[in-house]
Amino acid sequence: MPLDTKQWLDKSKTVLFYKKGETTICNPLFFCILYHLLIEKPTYNEPDLVSLLKQQDEQAFSYLYDNYSGALFNVINQIIPDKELVSDVLQEVFVNIWRKIDSYDADKGRLFTWMLNVARNAAIDKTRSRAYRDNMKNQTLPEDVSVFTNQTVKQNTDDYGLRKLVNKLKDDQKILVELSYFQGFTHEEIANSLNIPLGTVKTRIRSALTQLRILIK
Amino acid sequence: MIESYVLGLASAEERTEFEKLCKQYPELKAARNEFEIALEKQLMSEAAAPVAGVKEQLMSKIRQDIPAVKSKLINMNTTNSNQRSGGLRYVAAASVILLLAAAYFAYSFYSKNKSLKDELAKSQEEQKSMDNKLKMVSDPNVAVVSLKGTAKAPKSSASVYWDSTSANVYLVAKNMPKLASDKQYQLWAIINGADGGLQPTSLGLFDVGEDGKIILKMENANKADAFAITIETKGNKGGPNLEQLQTMGATRL
Repeated sequence: MPLDTKQWLDKSKTVLFYKKGETTICNPLFFCILYHLLIEKPTYNEPDLVSLLKQQDEQAFSYLYDNYSGALFNVINQIIPDKELVSDVLQEVFVNIWRKIDSYDADKGRLFTWMLNVARNAAIDKTRSRAYRDNMKNQTLPEDVSVFTNQTVKQNTDDYGLRKLVNKLKDDQKILVELSYFQGFTHEEIANSLNIPLGTVKTRIRSALTQLRILIK
Repeated sequence: MIESYVLGLASAEERTEFEKLCKQYPELKAARNEFEIALEKQLMSEAAAPVAGVKEQLMSKIRQDIPAVKSKLINMNTTNSNQRSGGLRYVAAASVILLLAAAYFAYSFYSKNKSLKDELAKSQEEQKSMDNKLKMVSDPNVAVVSLKGTAKAPKSSASVYWDSTSANVYLVAKNMPKLASDKQYQLWAIINGADGGLQPTSLGLFDVGEDGKIILKMENANKADAFAITIETKGNKGGPNLEQLQTMGATRL
């Protein structure tokens, strides 16, 4: 073996292995390289991810779940306090995303925005379901909006997500966002139950959302 | 309008209207996109780890969803792009491991082989010198001269094997005490001069280890009437210090 080869080997040996007492130990750097090559999943840019999902690519879907399930869990959890139920809804949400991905149109918004709305709608649908209302027997029908409000606001965690920001709004704005965004009532329903003119409800919600947008930036 | 559209609070008519406007005014679309990114960042930054337990169920659920024919088609499509790169990743990783392992083993075999070779050469040399010494002992031309301890060192004894044809001298010493570091033993060949005086010729200086035993090949001696060992200062270049005579023996009685 020529000397330069030997020197090269010697060097690479000290880089990759080192001796600790009698045993030769592999350099952790080596494992890092291996980890990157083998374990670390590829990341996708959004257009690729969407086109793979539209082709029903399982790996892309698995990535989607790993990447977004935490955030969507929080979104649902702010509407449904019961964590076990949140997991059920989360599963439904992802099945819906998988099935309805063809209806997603990138021109109309980002993938996350679309998933956020799928999650919010699924969560609100759940709170409207008969089983859910039977479970919360002390709760009343949508007409009694004010009672609803006080309970849910207290039950929900409000130290993260949109609700954390909503809590920074003025009280009258807060209630309107709570009812429209987190509980999914229409402007008409809110106007009826709070006894405020529909136009006022609309303008207040609009200004509340503008305020929210400033807070998010 | 942007907010209620993005947050899903706009009515169906409002949505259609807004989408139309976005197509007309790219800056409106850009503002919408900016808000969407800010919202996504906000919500993603607080996201917990992916929810465990749900995923397995979910994956098996969606697998049932894939119709057999479609999934086959997709497999064929994706092998060309994605799955191949996944496969390549494994191949690349495997070859890196292989290369490193091969390099490591090649190196360790190389160094082991080298040290074995060195050891072999060393023991071959040792054997050669042992063979020579043994040959001396069994050769009929070799005279064995016993050197007896003098009064100064009654326990010391040594033998000189002297090949009278080749003039090789081997010294076998027993019970020679170890000396101070500035002293050395010296072997002498002594010739009786015609005038009756003694002519000593040095056959070499030597050290003795802890056990007092030694077998050495000394300098050649063509002629000797006796052999003697003295203690000298280290590296002695002069004549023998006969006061320090340790052992002595005549070649002919």
